[in-house]
Amino acid sequence: MSDIETKIREEAKRALESGDVSLVIGWGAGSVPFKTTPIFIDKPEDAEKLVWNPACVNNLAVYLPKMASDKKIGIVAKPCDIRSIIALIQEKQVKRENLHIIGLGCGGVVDAGDLDNADFHLQDVTGLEWVADGLNVITTSGDHVIECGACLRDMCIICEKREPAIFDAKFGEAVEPQEGEVCALPELPDDRRKFWSEQFSKCIRCYACRQICPNCYCESCFADRIEPKWTAKKATPEESWMFHATRAMHLAGRCIGCGECERVCPVNIPIMQLEIEMAKIAKERYGYEPGDPDEEAPLLGQFKDADHDPGHHGG
Amino acid sequence: MSEETKTIESEIEEIKQPKEWQPAILGILCNWCSYAGADLAGSARLHYPESIRIVRVPCSGRVDPMFVLKGFQKGFDAVMVLGCHPGDCHYAKGNYYARRRIAMLQDLLETLGVPRERFHFEWVSASEGNRFAELMTEMTERIKKIGPFDGVTP
Repeated sequence: MSDIETKIREEAKRALESGDVSLVIGWGAGSVPFKTTPIFIDKPEDAEKLVWNPACVNNLAVYLPKMASDKKIGIVAKPCDIRSIIALIQEKQVKRENLHIIGLGCGGVVDAGDLDNADFHLQDVTGLEWVADGLNVITTSGDHVIECGACLRDMCIICEKREPAIFDAKFGEAVEPQEGEVCALPELPDDRRKFWSEQFSKCIRCYACRQICPNCYCESCFADRIEPKWTAKKATPEESWMFHATRAMHLAGRCIGCGECERVCPVNIPIMQLEIEMAKIAKERYGYEPGDPDEEAPLLGQFKDADHDPGHHGG
Repeated sequence: MSEETKTIESEIEEIKQPKEWQPAILGILCNWCSYAGADLAGSARLHYPESIRIVRVPCSGRVDPMFVLKGFQKGFDAVMVLGCHPGDCHYAKGNYYARRRIAMLQDLLETLGVPRERFHFEWVSASEGNRFAELMTEMTERIKKIGPFDGVTP
């Protein structure tokens, strides 16, 4: 992995020195060894601060609509982050020519909270690295290898696209998907409503899911509107239902499935379940996959004459 | 054949009796086809249950999925969206956009556990006054059978 890290640093340094880009967005070391933080590099010598390890979870595309509007910038991106970038290009939030994409082959990333297991304490962790049979957690008391299925984020377990779709420089190889499943929804409508009711009653309406989402770039969000008031600010299950249902609808056919919303949720609402279902249907029914570089518009911004017709009941 | 004589007491007694439960159905209708169809049903004096509350919109393409979600959140027992048949849109292609959007909305509602029977999407043209009246009767019967909606977060 360190080999790839070096190449990322060299590429960022080269791009900054040559004046190709004025800024590179990437991951830097976090405050603890099992976390990383987004960093913004504008001096070639600072390229040394960039890191690439199993804890590089943040989808950095979230910064692009604001930062790449008037200048060319570099971004270090995993395949899912690149799908976000493609979606932003399709929706005209950022121009391809304003981006220098340093793409990475990926094997999934790790949510630090899930690392807490019986063999070691998080405070003893000094580093993370991928090894042949899983994740190697380096601690002060020795190395511990954890199976991928037990440490990868849910979205990484089911991810099927581990090669960058577009890039200007590419490092690292994709790792084959793991076998695994994410939590399933109850079958019956009444049970589903109760399930979501319990989930949404936890919501504190912090809007972290919205803030972290690269596709939630609206300057004026429906949730902040006072007139018309689509959803009240109070965190009742009903109002939170309205917020999450609307957000899911706004992302239908646009969400590329990076799972950032679920990761940042302080009360662990399985927000991605809604989007996973919507993505499944978009693929089955319309053959549409968000973040596909061959698509010109989002799913709901286009139509075909022969589309599935829910309004035709044979009457 | 003597009709029962009505007195003020019998009238009061009748009003006091609980009436049969009627569902509240939100209908979002396109101005050019479905609303005109509803109008035709009215001018032709066709009978249909009064359970529907109509909101008129310029086009089914104007139907923001939030209208439907809001309807359910506010406790409607069912929501209907009616628009022009494909090919008949006053704005040429509004209903084609609506078709995809509404289809995705149907699936979102299902994922959220709102029963499929409670949301209905159909094409009704300006000449289909009969169809409109039939549809209202069918829908009302259907919702009466499954009973009141216990809310989006029971």
